[in-house]
Amino acid sequence: MPSTAESTSRTPVLARPWVRWAGIGLVIVLLVVGPLLLPEFANQTIARIGVFAVAVLGLNVVMGYTGQVSLGQIFFVGVGAYATAWGVDNDWNVVLVFALACVVPAVIGLLVALAAARLGGLAIAMVTIALPIVGVPLAKRLSDLTGGSQGTSARFTDAPEWTGLYDDQWQLYIVILIAGITFLLTRNLVRGKYGRAFAIVKGNEAVAGSMGISPYRYKVLAFTIASLIGGVSGFLYMVVIQYTSPETLHFGHSIELLASMVIGGAGSILGSLLGGAWYVLLPQITNLIDPNITAMLQGAILLIVLFILPGGLVSLPRLWRRRRGSLSTPVPDQTTPTHDAVIIHTERQDQ
Amino acid sequence: MSTNRRKMRVASVVAGLGIIAVLAAGCSRGGGTPNSTDDGAAEASPGITDTSITLGITTPLSGPTAGPGTCTVAGITAYFGAKNADGGVEFGDGKTRTVEIDALDDEYDPQKAKANYDQLKSSVFAMTAGLGTPTNRAWREAAIADEVPQALIMTGDPIFSDVGESPWQLGFVPIYQNEGQAFGELLAGSGADHKVAILSQNDDYGEGYVEGFKKGIEGADNIEVVKELTYEATDTSVDAQLTELAGSGADVFFNAMSITPLVISSLQKTQELGWLPSWFLPSNTSSPSAILEPGGAAAFPGVYTVAFAQSASAPTFADSEDGAAFLSALKEYADYPDTPAFPHCVWSYQVGATLEQVFAKMTEPTRADFMKQLRTISGYTAPLMLEGSTVDTTQDGQPAVSTVQVQKYNGKGYAPATSWDE
Repeated sequence: MPSTAESTSRTPVLARPWVRWAGIGLVIVLLVVGPLLLPEFANQTIARIGVFAVAVLGLNVVMGYTGQVSLGQIFFVGVGAYATAWGVDNDWNVVLVFALACVVPAVIGLLVALAAARLGGLAIAMVTIALPIVGVPLAKRLSDLTGGSQGTSARFTDAPEWTGLYDDQWQLYIVILIAGITFLLTRNLVRGKYGRAFAIVKGNEAVAGSMGISPYRYKVLAFTIASLIGGVSGFLYMVVIQYTSPETLHFGHSIELLASMVIGGAGSILGSLLGGAWYVLLPQITNLIDPNITAMLQGAILLIVLFILPGGLVSLPRLWRRRRGSLSTPVPDQTTPTHDAVIIHTERQDQ
Repeated sequence: MSTNRRKMRVASVVAGLGIIAVLAAGCSRGGGTPNSTDDGAAEASPGITDTSITLGITTPLSGPTAGPGTCTVAGITAYFGAKNADGGVEFGDGKTRTVEIDALDDEYDPQKAKANYDQLKSSVFAMTAGLGTPTNRAWREAAIADEVPQALIMTGDPIFSDVGESPWQLGFVPIYQNEGQAFGELLAGSGADHKVAILSQNDDYGEGYVEGFKKGIEGADNIEVVKELTYEATDTSVDAQLTELAGSGADVFFNAMSITPLVISSLQKTQELGWLPSWFLPSNTSSPSAILEPGGAAAFPGVYTVAFAQSASAPTFADSEDGAAFLSALKEYADYPDTPAFPHCVWSYQVGATLEQVFAKMTEPTRADFMKQLRTISGYTAPLMLEGSTVDTTQDGQPAVSTVQVQKYNGKGYAPATSWDE
């Protein structure tokens, strides 16, 4: 928690602690009440945003915070989804299913990272490219486990009778709960000891080594956590979409996730959420404009946003403040807390 | 300063969430309140009024399958565009309604297909014509739970034609088994002895074709399957399999392959090997201009495929009355000025015609009545159908069109092959 004593007197209303706590409270109230009030399609859309926000969050841990290029995130989402479907088909308890959906991708991620992190540099990216490329035919071949190219579905998230909720409300609550916990834990992770280590590994591996931080170990750790979070996303995928097929693992989706991460804001918790929103809403928006040219529109919008906001959507308020700041008295930003180092770092690179 | 930034960020979380919520809520406005209980026996279902009916489509309009996907929208849009221009379609309840199409792009991604379905289900009367097995499977169970018709869709997956498993679904195009069986029966009926080599894609697609073919040749003493190999859909070459099959001495090659470049290279490779059997190719990988010509298929004694609809690229097509009407409607109402290279445009046009038959029988403006009447069409010859093929929705386990005609390549296009002749 930041110290706020010196800032209260001259900070704008929005930044005062009570406003901040009120804001957090408001968000929680919105998250609890919202699903009850919103129409069905809005609930489903927000639930999908939750699913992919978690996937982007995982990617952010390994790429945004630790600086290792991963192009295989969708593979872990898919493995999580398949593990969930398999567990549900075999009548496992839902808690066990969730554990399975976390553990299987995490173990695969660990094994891959143990080998790939040794290679260093772009070699990790190459190895991760292979994952979805291998994943699709593998999912087709292991048809006993995966249902082959026809895919497999698991409807296990219909609202229980006693809740009196509609299915979409129930599903959204599950997503909010699990995604919320995942976001909180990840936030604590990247703001603590590990986050600082990740940032140094990203910044300069030699420095990290000289400080007693093993780049190899932290790369493996980041990659494993990213895979685990991918698995959580896969579980949520089955909660909301209830169907998975080899198409889910398609390499193109990995690139879309990557683009969403950059658009949302690399190395930012809030950016992950925005990235998830981008992943889900962009196709819907382009569909509203003209369903026949969605691909072209998506490319154009991507370029425009990156051109205006190279730091991602999360840098929008900062851009606005900078504009406003340059009109009055610009204050040089000297104190740079560790957890912001990554963002600052990327910003500098862009300039 | 840093605390400032952090606080600003928290504030922007709130703002951001608000924006997302408003955006998402805004997107759904068109559909009214889907959760409200709008029951009552004969009360109209969503998407239908006394003057209009809206049909939803989710199909790939971008990405690798965009070509056929665009056609699945264009055909039905053209059909009903022409009908609307004439005043609309007459329903069984005596009202005349115009038919609107609401199509969304799913990029062949099951997740997006489900999202599109969620978006459309409360504003359209029925979903139809969408292409793709995984993209239709993704919301099959949701459609059953919501009781939304998923009618006359373009997939060869048999599950959609099984009333028990899919009470709110019906496939339009023949299932893989239908195609393989038709060829098997023609071959068995030839009377002459044939040795058959089989190459099939190692998934439900290839298996479906082989299963149908074997059913077709069941009990025929003159047919012997001498060699049977598979390949993976991700393989970039099947040269090894072809070399092995060439050594089997077969005079008929049953190739259940769905990947265009592989079919072309297979046609070329077998010629290099000096193996010149008669070929069977599935309907979706037998295009004369896109596959057979570049593959040099004229070198073989015969290349057979199956079809139930006329090919728009056939030279006589544009001269026929139905063909000319189809092409002009496509141009005028569906913004599709070219002669379609994919059969899906004609299929989708026929989906429109079949739906009109169903509408004419509907006495209540409800989804339930629609599904009831959907399964009562038989012996209907849709426009542009080949002689011998009809729409029959009354058989459980079969799609709307299950009778296919074997056709033989004549160097330019296809001609019907009613018997085996060499």
